[in-house]
Amino acid sequence: MKRILAFALTLALLTLSLAGVALAADDPSEEVTIRWMLDGSNVTDDSAVLEAVNAYLKEKINAKLEVIWGTWGDFDNNSVLNINSGADIDIYFTCSWSANEYSAYAKKGAWVRLDDPANNLLEKYAPNLFTVLPPVLAEGAKVEGADGVGVYGLPGYKEVAQQYTWDINTPLLTELGYSVDDVSDFYAFGDILAKAKEAKGADFYPLNIEGAVLERMVNHSDIVDTNLLLSFEFDPVNPAQSEAVIKSRYETDGYKKFVEKVREYYQAGYINPDMANHESSGPARTNAQLSGAYLIGTQTYAPGYDRQASQERGFEVTFKPAQAGIISTTSARGAMMAISSASKHPERALQFLALLNTDPYLFTLLAYGVEGVHYNLQDGKVAFTDKRQDYLPWRNGLGNITQLPLTVDDDPDIWEKFAKFNDAQGVPLLGFAFDATPVETEMTALINAANEYADPLNAGVVDPAEKLPEFIAKLKANGIDKVLEEANTQLQAFLAAKGN
Amino acid sequence: MTRAPAATRPILAHNLARRKKTLLLTSMALPGALWLLLLRYLPMFGLVFAFQTDRIRPTLWDRVIKNAWTGFKNFEFLFTTSDSWRMVRNTIAYNAVWIVLGLVVSVAFAIILNEIPRKFLGKTYQTLMFFPYFISWVVVSYFVFAFLSPDKGLLTFWQRSLGQTPVDWYNTPGPWPYVLTLAYLWKNVGYSCILYLAAITGIDASQYEAAGIDGATKWQQVRFVTLPHLRNMIIILLIMSVGKIFNSDFGLFYNVPRDSGPLFSATQVVDTFVYRALAKTGNVGMSTAAGLFQNVVNFVVIMLVNTLFRKIDPETALF
Amino acid sequence: MSVAKSASRRASRLTTVGPGAEAVFHLILGLFSLACVVPFIFVIIISFSSEPAIRANGFSFLPAAWSLDAYRFVMRLGDQLWRSYFNSFFITVVGTALSVLICVLYAYPLFRRDYKYRGFFTFFSFFTTLFGGGLVPTYMVSKFMLGLSDNYAALIVPLLVSPFYIIVMRTFYSSTVPEALIESASIDGSGEYRTLFQIILPICLPGIATIALLNALAYWNEWFIAMLYITKPQYIPLQYLLMRMQNQADFLARNSSMIGAEAVNLVANQPTETLRMALVVFIVLPIACAYPFFQRFIISGLTIGSVKG
Repeated sequence: MKRILAFALTLALLTLSLAGVALAADDPSEEVTIRWMLDGSNVTDDSAVLEAVNAYLKEKINAKLEVIWGTWGDFDNNSVLNINSGADIDIYFTCSWSANEYSAYAKKGAWVRLDDPANNLLEKYAPNLFTVLPPVLAEGAKVEGADGVGVYGLPGYKEVAQQYTWDINTPLLTELGYSVDDVSDFYAFGDILAKAKEAKGADFYPLNIEGAVLERMVNHSDIVDTNLLLSFEFDPVNPAQSEAVIKSRYETDGYKKFVEKVREYYQAGYINPDMANHESSGPARTNAQLSGAYLIGTQTYAPGYDRQASQERGFEVTFKPAQAGIISTTSARGAMMAISSASKHPERALQFLALLNTDPYLFTLLAYGVEGVHYNLQDGKVAFTDKRQDYLPWRNGLGNITQLPLTVDDDPDIWEKFAKFNDAQGVPLLGFAFDATPVETEMTALINAANEYADPLNAGVVDPAEKLPEFIAKLKANGIDKVLEEANTQLQAFLAAKGN
Repeated sequence: MTRAPAATRPILAHNLARRKKTLLLTSMALPGALWLLLLRYLPMFGLVFAFQTDRIRPTLWDRVIKNAWTGFKNFEFLFTTSDSWRMVRNTIAYNAVWIVLGLVVSVAFAIILNEIPRKFLGKTYQTLMFFPYFISWVVVSYFVFAFLSPDKGLLTFWQRSLGQTPVDWYNTPGPWPYVLTLAYLWKNVGYSCILYLAAITGIDASQYEAAGIDGATKWQQVRFVTLPHLRNMIIILLIMSVGKIFNSDFGLFYNVPRDSGPLFSATQVVDTFVYRALAKTGNVGMSTAAGLFQNVVNFVVIMLVNTLFRKIDPETALF
Repeated sequence: MSVAKSASRRASRLTTVGPGAEAVFHLILGLFSLACVVPFIFVIIISFSSEPAIRANGFSFLPAAWSLDAYRFVMRLGDQLWRSYFNSFFITVVGTALSVLICVLYAYPLFRRDYKYRGFFTFFSFFTTLFGGGLVPTYMVSKFMLGLSDNYAALIVPLLVSPFYIIVMRTFYSSTVPEALIESASIDGSGEYRTLFQIILPICLPGIATIALLNALAYWNEWFIAMLYITKPQYIPLQYLLMRMQNQADFLARNSSMIGAEAVNLVANQPTETLRMALVVFIVLPIACAYPFFQRFIISGLTIGSVKG
């Protein structure tokens, strides 16, 4: 046994030490292959696109592109495994909201620091890149990573702001004798909901909510950690003026008031009991939206939604803001590209990314496909062909989407609306990302506690009088105070550094 | 060689034959052994991740030598949570009950199937019993949901039509130990039944004949011919399942209750706790630590059980 | 042959169960079998239900309206569906053949009490059921060192050896093969391989058929391996096709608020429950049809056992 293990050990060490090849300096005359892992794509045939892309890249940066088209299910599994195992991939999609989270992996050393004073890749290979992007994006990209505070990824330019809106079934609301103006205060929804319930019968649930989103809408509480244990409450009118303090989301008075009201609405039959469970709530919510079987819902807004939702559902949908739009760390890091620390050609990868974000030809090619194959131009607008079904990457995940031409389905004013939407105020916490590593042990138990209580409380299916104290006791027992203190200490340090 | 004393020649030949036999038999085990070496033993290097910081490096080798050692810090999260006891209790209690129940039910079914005179019906039952094994827990969860859904479930409808207040299944932990047990048996009995059935069909028919001639009743035949014959298989499967006492069938505990929070007191097991804790952070060190800890517990338990069986009858022990 | 078969069968049933007991047996097994197959029937019914009916009333055994939409949608997967079908068949057949061969070979020396390294090899395989390196190291070794990535080997090799089946096979050997048989073969001058393939394996057919069946099931049902090592659509097996839809729909439902303007469209166009159920039907039917084939081997093993006696 021992001998075999010793043998295995030697074998493995030998192979692995061979695998660790030292990085050579980039030689522009050598053609390299850039491997790019994307998520959220639905691509079955990329040959025409890559042929055109490669011809172009060969001439521009002497490189070939190979894309790994991860699907929507790949965010949480495949990309994380590849990142963790140092796969031979140069560029990854990353962001603030999925498992391949930007700041955590920057901290773990998965990304190359792009503005590292030692080599300053950004200055050398993409000097103009951040000038085409809004400054908030550059601010949002700064993070404390394995090689100090700096830029570890390139933010994509899509919706930079974030805004919660009430999703209103307008024809039904009118039918009930109300107007959109009447939908504003969650705590005063009672009468409207009662009337809807009365008019539509027992099987009709007027409040079509995503519990966690509703909670953020009502309490104006932004995300601090991906597990939603902590919150930052901002001023709904003047977000930039908010007090910079992090709270324990479920222990505030606002939360208690909120869950009591939700419970009241639930018991009155306004909320579908399926909403308590994240597996049932998704399909149930989509069903209600598509069939118009709701009155008021929750929606994270983006320009163009109204048009798209109304088309999709076949009735007029109004999205009414519940608060001012904000730019936060989460929203600024909505879609990014990072260069893997395992990449053998980080210089060329960055050159490619710089080109991608500043060259409309390349970006349109990758986002929409080849002209004459995947789309045709009608009066300068993109009209997709059937071939498009074989090539559907996630457009917003690719990069700077403002380079794209309009499609025939787009709102003609979409880019103005887009610019206006992105002109929101940044919150004081913009750029701050909570680093959970010092309290990782506590977090594991707290996450489980939140899994146990938060969804049912947010949807009102359990009695807050009994469950909320139980929940809070469990949070306390598992060290929420320590986590909160750590978060505020980090925040103070961040603000102090920012002030300088 | 030719001058060797006559007496040693047969011994040499015997030795040679024995070596040849050993060589040939070893060659049979080699393909499997090579696979185990490459795909199971080699990755065991990863166990050091459990004792290191979770820093990502371009190669496994870099990671092993460059990452800082943290002692047992990655293990702490399993013990510091106020839910430690609950998840350990659930994990072990469900496994213990199910090992016994599963064993009794599958052996009983295998024997009954073998005794059914109408072979056609027997085969049909056997085929049908196999169906659940094809259906993933995700699909099973739809099925269970169709019965228990809070607004459209069949049981909910039924209770309403009887004028009762329907049970809010996904928020009431009480009935879930039974629901999970039923789901477990439903899915696994057909599978383990086939192992026992195959073992039974290997029994020499003459043994039954002899017993029959001696005037043994059917029950006596089962007791004195079938069961002793199944003993090896029962013990092996028993030891193997005891070796998983600290693990759980993830889909059963996660998908079937639809990851519903209020049910955690009945459905939280070590595997689901670890999954929920690390799904978002993806800490490789901590997940390796959790797996290693589970393995060590399993190892200790299986060693105890194996030793026990060896004391009773050396032939039945696994090794 | 058939005369010998029925004669020996009858002989083995000198004493049969009484009619009362038999009725009870049928009742128990019948009910259990029904419980086993009802969910699948339910899955079939859902796959033929109309989507608006499900939206209105939830899943039901008697849907308000029927529809073939799900199957039309599956057909629209077109080439990918048949390609995945082929992949599933291919990896199941090749994988099962290889893994049964390796298993039978590995288990045989473990059963031979006169084999010098019996203890070592038993423990060598058994130990791996207790300890493993975990997902990430296994992934690293398989993908980067062994090159199991986007090829058929990536779908076949990771499931090739199962210590559990090895131990089960060893148990089959030890409960069916009399030791005298090996001794006499060895005295007759039969080589080890010949003894195994010509004398031992034929009497162990029920065991082999069982191992083959379990292996085939494992290969047919596998999707996790495919998720890890396959990104190119041409290698995707059927189960993974289904699981991928599942994962996508779940992910979109959870994160629609983060995806942007495309989300409305994406969420609305996710494959419906009926489509997923239709895929389950596509997955289950072939292997359910193959089952009686394995069963015949298990039964024929019985016959050989009797004739030998």
